[in-house]
Amino acid sequence: MLVDYNKTFHRKKITVTFFVCVAILVFLFGRLVYLMVAKADYYEKKATELHERERSIKAARGKILDCNGTVLADNRTVCTVSVIHNQIEDKEKVIEVLCTELGLSEDYIRKRVEKYSSIERIKSNVDKTIGDRIRNYDLAGVKVDEDYKRYYPYGELGSKVLGFTGGDNQGIIGLEVMYEDYLKGQEGTILTVTDAKGIEVADHGESRIDPIPGGDLHISMDLNIQSYATQLAYQAMENKEADSVSIIVMKVKTGEILAMVNVPEFDPNNPFELTDYALTSISGNDAGLSAEELNLTDKEKQDLLNNMWRNACINDTYEPGSTFKIITAAAGLESGVVTPSSTFSCPGFIVVEDRKIRCHKTTGHGSEDFVHATMNSCNPVFITVGLRMGRDVFYSYFEQFGLLKKTGIDLPGEAATIMHKKDNIGAVELATVSFGQSFQITPIELLVTAASIINDGKRITPHFGVKVTDTQGNVTKEFDYPVQTGIVSEETSAVMREILEKVVSEGGGAKAYIEGVRIGGKTATSQTLPRNSGKYIASFIGFAPANDPEIIAMAIIKHPQGMYYGGQIAAPVVRQLFENILPYLGIMDYNINSVS
Amino acid sequence: MGKNKKKGQSEYFFDYSLLFIVLFLLVFGLVMLYSTSSYEAAQKYGSSTFYLVKQIKATVLGLVGMFIIAHIPYHFWEKFYGLGYIVSAVLLLLIIPFGYKSGGAKRWFRIGGLSIQPAEIAKICMILFCAVMICKMGKKVRDFKGFLLLMAMPLPIVLMVWKITSNLSSAIIIMGIVFIMVFVASPDYKKFVVITVGGLAGVAAIVVAIAGMASNEGMHYRFKRVLAWLHPEDYVSDTGYQTLQALYAIGSGGVWGKGLGQSMQKLGFIPEAQNDMIFSIICEELGLFGAIAIIALFVMLIWRLMVIANNAPDLFGALLVVGVMAHMALQVILNIAVVTATIPNTGISLPFISYGGTAVLFQLAEIGLVLNVARKIPLKEA
Repeated sequence: MLVDYNKTFHRKKITVTFFVCVAILVFLFGRLVYLMVAKADYYEKKATELHERERSIKAARGKILDCNGTVLADNRTVCTVSVIHNQIEDKEKVIEVLCTELGLSEDYIRKRVEKYSSIERIKSNVDKTIGDRIRNYDLAGVKVDEDYKRYYPYGELGSKVLGFTGGDNQGIIGLEVMYEDYLKGQEGTILTVTDAKGIEVADHGESRIDPIPGGDLHISMDLNIQSYATQLAYQAMENKEADSVSIIVMKVKTGEILAMVNVPEFDPNNPFELTDYALTSISGNDAGLSAEELNLTDKEKQDLLNNMWRNACINDTYEPGSTFKIITAAAGLESGVVTPSSTFSCPGFIVVEDRKIRCHKTTGHGSEDFVHATMNSCNPVFITVGLRMGRDVFYSYFEQFGLLKKTGIDLPGEAATIMHKKDNIGAVELATVSFGQSFQITPIELLVTAASIINDGKRITPHFGVKVTDTQGNVTKEFDYPVQTGIVSEETSAVMREILEKVVSEGGGAKAYIEGVRIGGKTATSQTLPRNSGKYIASFIGFAPANDPEIIAMAIIKHPQGMYYGGQIAAPVVRQLFENILPYLGIMDYNINSVS
Repeated sequence: MGKNKKKGQSEYFFDYSLLFIVLFLLVFGLVMLYSTSSYEAAQKYGSSTFYLVKQIKATVLGLVGMFIIAHIPYHFWEKFYGLGYIVSAVLLLLIIPFGYKSGGAKRWFRIGGLSIQPAEIAKICMILFCAVMICKMGKKVRDFKGFLLLMAMPLPIVLMVWKITSNLSSAIIIMGIVFIMVFVASPDYKKFVVITVGGLAGVAAIVVAIAGMASNEGMHYRFKRVLAWLHPEDYVSDTGYQTLQALYAIGSGGVWGKGLGQSMQKLGFIPEAQNDMIFSIICEELGLFGAIAIIALFVMLIWRLMVIANNAPDLFGALLVVGVMAHMALQVILNIAVVTATIPNTGISLPFISYGGTAVLFQLAEIGLVLNVARKIPLKEA
């Protein structure tokens, strides 16, 4: 038996051991205090991130309404079907049901159902009735979330202005993208607490942050005018077998655009489907083969789509031709090189340096004053006016009129004016620019500049956006747009209105004349490049009432067959338009006007 | 405590304080074990009490064993010191052919549904062996040769625990127990301080060397654990995962805790949280104050062991109690240090609280031994 006695030093050492242990435990306790007090927030945040799964709830996108409150772009409820791998109980049943209900291949669904992920999207934009049916199967692990899809009740009406949205309801072109920030709203979230395998922990419930719906955008477009203008444009396009027809109708004093038509339009409800027009535009596809039959590459298809979506009024430039004479005339009058009574003689051509530039009337207009020269759209006279001003003066008017800047319209992708560099303008360039050739401009730029010349020199900003309202109808944002004054003097503006009224009442724009309404305007016929292609653009700018313009409209017919003079084919389009919309807008009263 | 009350019945001391501390730890441990393991148990085995029932069985068995041992005079065991050594060695060797593999390591025997971990048996056997050896060597313990001899004798067992069961933590604990027992038996401090300081410096140097390694490609897993300890957030998918998850649990507990049963981290984020990481769940559910309570209980436990060791009737009894005290203290300190990422991750369980049948069985046996030593303290002298 071991009977050594416990020595004093043993006791001492045991006590030392104890206190060393206590000291270490106190240190560890200090570490715990550090972790649980100082670092608590940090680790708690990290842990919460780990435990919570987030599902987003889409916000309803704001509607787009016309000036009368008619909904042009709306939302439709659709469903997104997804599967949660860990919660699936009867895998084969899930695959079978999704196959039959969604009409997708079994391989596609099986791959997604068997994929080990927290949540896997099977299909979005599923019709609500199908979504409800799938929900009624009550399959574990299958989630049907309701969602919104953009819907355009009037189909292709104003498609290139309104634009469309993509898979995540984000604006892709047009007003949809321009006003994205107002329309999109704010996504909400559903937070669920899950264990390490992603299974929801029942007693922790869900916390939900509700989405904030987007604001409703009110635009100046008038559905009635837009649809009538679209009808007219299709008529003109079909009658003249033209490539495309554009019509813009704008309020002169405010810049509010009532209609902007570019036919052929496309269907914003199926924006990625090539229209028949887009397909027949492919050279060699006269037989009208479908997109599948053509075997387009992705890039070819994308190029065709981009072309189909283009808004010719603002994205494309063209040689304006004689409508540009409004600008030359205003500049000439403003600079004083010409007065309405100045007389000219037109022999049918004019020689500038070594070039002989013909008038469209080859026999010449003979002796005429400036008013008649404008009525006749006489090229030699306008060349003379341009040359009289000279490069520097003429160019300074371009700047003064705002021609070299973009208009600032609230649509994406506005093209800039393509003008000669000032230093490169010689007499020949000056001469051709004077009657609207050898440079390019967007239709909207020309229209806005013409509007500012007849509107006492006030240059407005063309626009669609008027205001944004929330779901209760309260105005959350009102848009205002800059107006530049002093483009031309009020006198020049008054003279221009008179001359342009004469163009319609007695001159080349006679086809736009409406009994009893004072209409001003200017026609244009320009040959597209290359010059010998025999392709023309016929256009007409008209405004009413001529003495105090309220409405300005423009029609552009691209590549018409047969008769191609703007005065013959574009002016009647604007006349028909005015005949219908002026009474509608209260600018013309048939009863009173027909008596006078 | 019980001294005055028992005066009339017995002239010897029964340490009720120690008994109640241990019983409290056991009950508290079972509550926390159920809280921690029920979710995983229900998912894995379909019964939320799967781990709890197994642990209760081992605990009851352990308590019975403890009371029996508490009534056997501790000198009875001294003749078995050699046998204990041999049994430990044989059991460890038998692991090679008959061991049962779980969680990547071969550490257990399965006998009739019970898993037995020889490393836990080796711990109690080594305490007995060392206590007897120190007493036998008498004054020879005091010189350097005796010191080396004492440190060398348990080495074969330590190496077997480390290499055969790849259980470095148990090996370190056995080594630590022996070191402390020799420390207590020797009158001087110098060599112990030198070894401790030298050892810590060596460990620090290794850590710095590992941290400085350019690439961790093909690195030994223990080295990786060191790196994961230094930068847990860079090893999230790997060895740092458990460390980081434990920190999340501790940190999100805060001062007051989430409340009993409210832990999120036990829902599979900390795998098998009922084992070595149970302290982190205690922190998460009961907060800093729960953690204080547990640490305080362990301090009281060690304090009672110190008191008994100091008052033991003879050196053998004192050394037995010192061994148990060293064992408890080392496990508690290392476990909390691992859980709080103060040292690299190595599997060490928390005495009486972590899940583990063999551990609780033999820890209770050790307490039984201590209780018997306490019974031999004559009240007159105490």
